[in-house]
Amino acid sequence: MDTASLTSTPLHRGAEADLSLATIGPWKVVVKRRVRKKYRNPILDERIRHDRTISEASVIHEAKTAGARVPSIVGVDIENNAIVMTHLAGTVARESLDDMGKSEAQKLLRSIGEQIGLLHTAGIVHGDLTTSNVIVSPFGAPFIVDFGMSRRSVEPEDRGVDLHLLKRSIIASHRQNPASMMNSMIRGYEKTTGKKVASSTWRKAREIARRGRYFAIR
Amino acid sequence: MCLGIESTAHTFGASLVDDRDRIVTNVNSTYRPPVGVGIHPRKASEHLASVADRIVKTALSTKDSSSIAPDVIAYAAGPGLGPCLRIGATVGRALSSFLKRPLVPVHHGVAHLDIAMSITKAHDPLAVLVSGGHTSILVHVGKRWRVYGETQDITLGNLLDMFAREAKLPSPGGLSVSREATKGENLIKLPYTVKGNDVAYSGLLTAAATSLRRQGNLADLCFSLQETAFSMLSEAVERSLVQTRRSEVLLAGGVAASPRLREMIGSVAEDHGASFHPVPIEYSGDCGAQIACSGRLAYESGITVSTSDSFVTPRWRMDEVDVPWIPRA
Repeated sequence: MDTASLTSTPLHRGAEADLSLATIGPWKVVVKRRVRKKYRNPILDERIRHDRTISEASVIHEAKTAGARVPSIVGVDIENNAIVMTHLAGTVARESLDDMGKSEAQKLLRSIGEQIGLLHTAGIVHGDLTTSNVIVSPFGAPFIVDFGMSRRSVEPEDRGVDLHLLKRSIIASHRQNPASMMNSMIRGYEKTTGKKVASSTWRKAREIARRGRYFAIR
Repeated sequence: MCLGIESTAHTFGASLVDDRDRIVTNVNSTYRPPVGVGIHPRKASEHLASVADRIVKTALSTKDSSSIAPDVIAYAAGPGLGPCLRIGATVGRALSSFLKRPLVPVHHGVAHLDIAMSITKAHDPLAVLVSGGHTSILVHVGKRWRVYGETQDITLGNLLDMFAREAKLPSPGGLSVSREATKGENLIKLPYTVKGNDVAYSGLLTAAATSLRRQGNLADLCFSLQETAFSMLSEAVERSLVQTRRSEVLLAGGVAASPRLREMIGSVAEDHGASFHPVPIEYSGDCGAQIACSGRLAYESGITVSTSDSFVTPRWRMDEVDVPWIPRA
């Protein structure tokens, strides 16, 4: 698929890719193009962009097949390190979470937990789970986006990283009580993974947090 | 006038900072281990103890060699090597009881950020702290620094030091690796591990050390090690910058002296329209001035400790310290 000939309007500038909006037939699509990073050695840069484009496209497709709420892949442009996927309408959870009441926020977190559980059950870890990577549809259903760092894995370690990153993003960017938010998330997660996986992943997530520098049991 | 005493690892330092945040004196002595060997905590602490009185005396004397009596004594209470921390704490307690001046405990990592913010005039930055003890990406929320990303195993300083040791390059490792790297040009494929905003360097160290033992080209390896390790951190910084939307990027700590790292983090800041605040190289490594600078701010916020409670804390996370003086004016 050639994305260079598509007419598109800029939508969002992320950390590693530019998103733009285009129309293909009846669909509104998002073109995610991984841009060259000036700070990175050109060989390393090309390798990272190429590998991540391919891996992201295939993982998103697999997640969709597993029934998770993710965008649908429309096409991949390997030459330009670009992925074309369906556009999702809604708000970014990072923006909307702080405006919600406690029960609404808990309901959303539970629902996000269910989605993460679906991904993990399908053998996919996200690798960069933050509230910035969740889009809440107008009907309140969360879609997980940005699979640039994701991999196929069923290791408790990798699953734990997902929950650890989400927890830290809630602590660092939101004023909601992190413990109660994560409790709701875990309840949702448990619904789709089962008790056994949920408790082992959560145990691992806490262990990963303690790996940070200078943690002491006091 | 605040006297700061640094003694968390290899450096004993004493420094005076005045009420207008100007560094009046800054005297330091660093223990250098033999080539191929790391810092032995006891040997380092013996060095610190042997230079302590001379360093403090020099820091307290003016140009006409009259002596200044500080109003506040700040000491590095952690994190760091226990035997080393205890030297600085002992000196601090002694001076505080003798001069009858208040004692202020300082977090060494927070102090790295404070001195960098003072000198580069940063207000509320995304802070990147890179040293032998820390590799963290932090933002200030409420009363504390919050860790937005960090290393999951060894620090960037550890990585460079340990590789330099393997390669029999002299300490400080970061400088030696940086010098060798300028002669390298071939990028060797090494593990690149970024997990969200976190990085992990141990796999990279193992791969680089293994390649070295298999007679890999040292200059190329140093070049590739730097490119890979710094790219990982830069990516995590870029991601954090986009998420936190800060308009300033602060770079502090010993590894902040690396020209290549400054170039890369500076490029990330510029790309996202943020101003770049790298700590001047002479204040990047451990020094008394950072403790004096941070101690002064803490004292102004009412933080002091009684001699009987003035413990050292070898393990002390950045996000466990109240830092009410940020955002800075």
